[in-house]
Amino acid sequence: MTSVVLDNVRKSFGSLDVMKGVDLTIDAGEFCVFVGPSGCGKSTLLRIISGLETSSSGKVFIDGKDVTDAEPSQRGIAMVFQSYALYPHLTVAENIGFGLSLAKRPKAEIAEKVKQTADILQLSHLLDRKPKALSGGQRQRVAIGRAIIRNPKVFLFDEPLSNLDASLRAQMRMELTELHAKLGATMIYVTHDQVEAMTMADKIVVLNGGTIEQVGTPMALYNNPATPFVAGFIGSPKMNLFEGEAAKRESCKTYGIRPEHISLSTTDGKWHGVVRHIERLGADTVVHLDLPELPSLVVRTEGDRSISVGQTLFASPFKSKEHRFS
Amino acid sequence: MKRRQLYTGVVALAASGVVFVLPFLFIFITAAKTKQDAASLRFSLPVEWRLWENFIEVLQARNYMLLLAYFNSTVITVVAVTLLVLFGAMVGYVLQRRPSRWNTVIYGCVLAGLMIPPAVVPTIWVLQSLGLFKSISGMILIQVAYGLAFTVLLFRSFIATIPRDLDEAAIIDGAKPLQIFFRVVLPLLKPVTVTVIVVQSIAIFNDFTNPLYYLPGRENVTVQLTLYNFQGQFQTQFNLLFMNILLVTIPPLIVFVFFNRQIVAGMTAGAVKG
Repeated sequence: MTSVVLDNVRKSFGSLDVMKGVDLTIDAGEFCVFVGPSGCGKSTLLRIISGLETSSSGKVFIDGKDVTDAEPSQRGIAMVFQSYALYPHLTVAENIGFGLSLAKRPKAEIAEKVKQTADILQLSHLLDRKPKALSGGQRQRVAIGRAIIRNPKVFLFDEPLSNLDASLRAQMRMELTELHAKLGATMIYVTHDQVEAMTMADKIVVLNGGTIEQVGTPMALYNNPATPFVAGFIGSPKMNLFEGEAAKRESCKTYGIRPEHISLSTTDGKWHGVVRHIERLGADTVVHLDLPELPSLVVRTEGDRSISVGQTLFASPFKSKEHRFS
Repeated sequence: MKRRQLYTGVVALAASGVVFVLPFLFIFITAAKTKQDAASLRFSLPVEWRLWENFIEVLQARNYMLLLAYFNSTVITVVAVTLLVLFGAMVGYVLQRRPSRWNTVIYGCVLAGLMIPPAVVPTIWVLQSLGLFKSISGMILIQVAYGLAFTVLLFRSFIATIPRDLDEAAIIDGAKPLQIFFRVVLPLLKPVTVTVIVVQSIAIFNDFTNPLYYLPGRENVTVQLTLYNFQGQFQTQFNLLFMNILLVTIPPLIVFVFFNRQIVAGMTAGAVKG
């Protein structure tokens, strides 16, 4: 069953084309992540789905219904903003119940639903506080609570974790994934952070310059990137990509090999180069090599290997892990 | 350096004392004098303290005119300020949030409202043809018209500091435009609303010239016009005049004392990102 379908969605601001014809199908219950660099149109696409922005042409279907011209509140969606967008003058309970109170539902029903939602998100002890008295993670949870209480078919997240510190972000990633499993609702999540995309998504949509580069599961994108852009965007450290002479020697337009798919040796190998820089990450070591005939090569190797700057090393790619883009 | 700071501090205090405190003291002691004592207009303590008697006399003058004036002034001030806050915030909100070709025109009108001096006689023509001359409602509309431009500018710059995400969150929650305005935006405008209320209510309550032009008639008297009760062509009862001034000064003073801090907060809010 499909939940969200985009049919040739285009958006232009004046003469600037932001979305250049996007076709996409998101299945019900899927956790779909839009990922791409700044300005690729991922947030615009999310806002078009939410109805906050209208598309210049094309259609949007949610749950089989054409909602292209429907009001945001009629679409069965809920949205969590990057800035949380909590109403500063209302308490947590009022923030969560705001949508219901707009719909003029009875007070008892609102209180009941707010309590249920707060229980799911462990916010029950904070219901009387104002947003300014909450920590970043708690504000995030209130924003999610405001989304949950609407019981939407589709949740939209616009870079919700980018204002949190690293450890809290990791925790919230897990909480969101668990929430997704618990609610079973369709979630569309926008981020520029490929780690979030890889760890949370059922399906990743890589956007670049207003078009979709590739759609697939995290591992499919990692193992079989369709374009050099996807190859470079998914995976950390970035895939080594060679163009020009070096690629021609491999009989392709762009040649790619991931840092973790290269073996290092002191005696022999396909390439040889001088160590320019070493990043010790503990479990891994990232080595930057200067090659005579290629641009620099990044290699990921085990953490306790003794390497020093200036040393000459040989590197060989794993044969089955090479990527050739024509 | 320290000594110099002390000197400048003392000089500044003395200067502001002369400018602000002395006139008030003069009003107070003259208001407590007898008629003959006050007529000399000297800065001296009253020979005989007649504060209470003067107060009663001013209150009862011309069949309790002062009370009627308080009533009229309060009605004009409250209604005009309410309308100013409501319309100022609404216009400011639309100007700030919905860019359109009309915005330039509206903004031009707002600036014109600040720059073009009001003309009294044409205004009276308009009021007469609308049947609003010599009426409290006409006076209220004039005060709203005079104050609106400044109020709109104040609200507009403050609304620019409210993140648009809040509007959008409310839209997603199912709020209609009016609900967004009244339930999300207006409550957040409290600091600047307090500023507008204080500044405008003092200006309107203390207004002397506009009621003089547009609101003639014994039953339409406002507080500032009651000063004429004790100032005649041939004689002036200075003790009662100053008692009247004292009474008229008190309400704005109370407002100012209570809201002093919020006024400054509202004036500067939006100027710098907080």
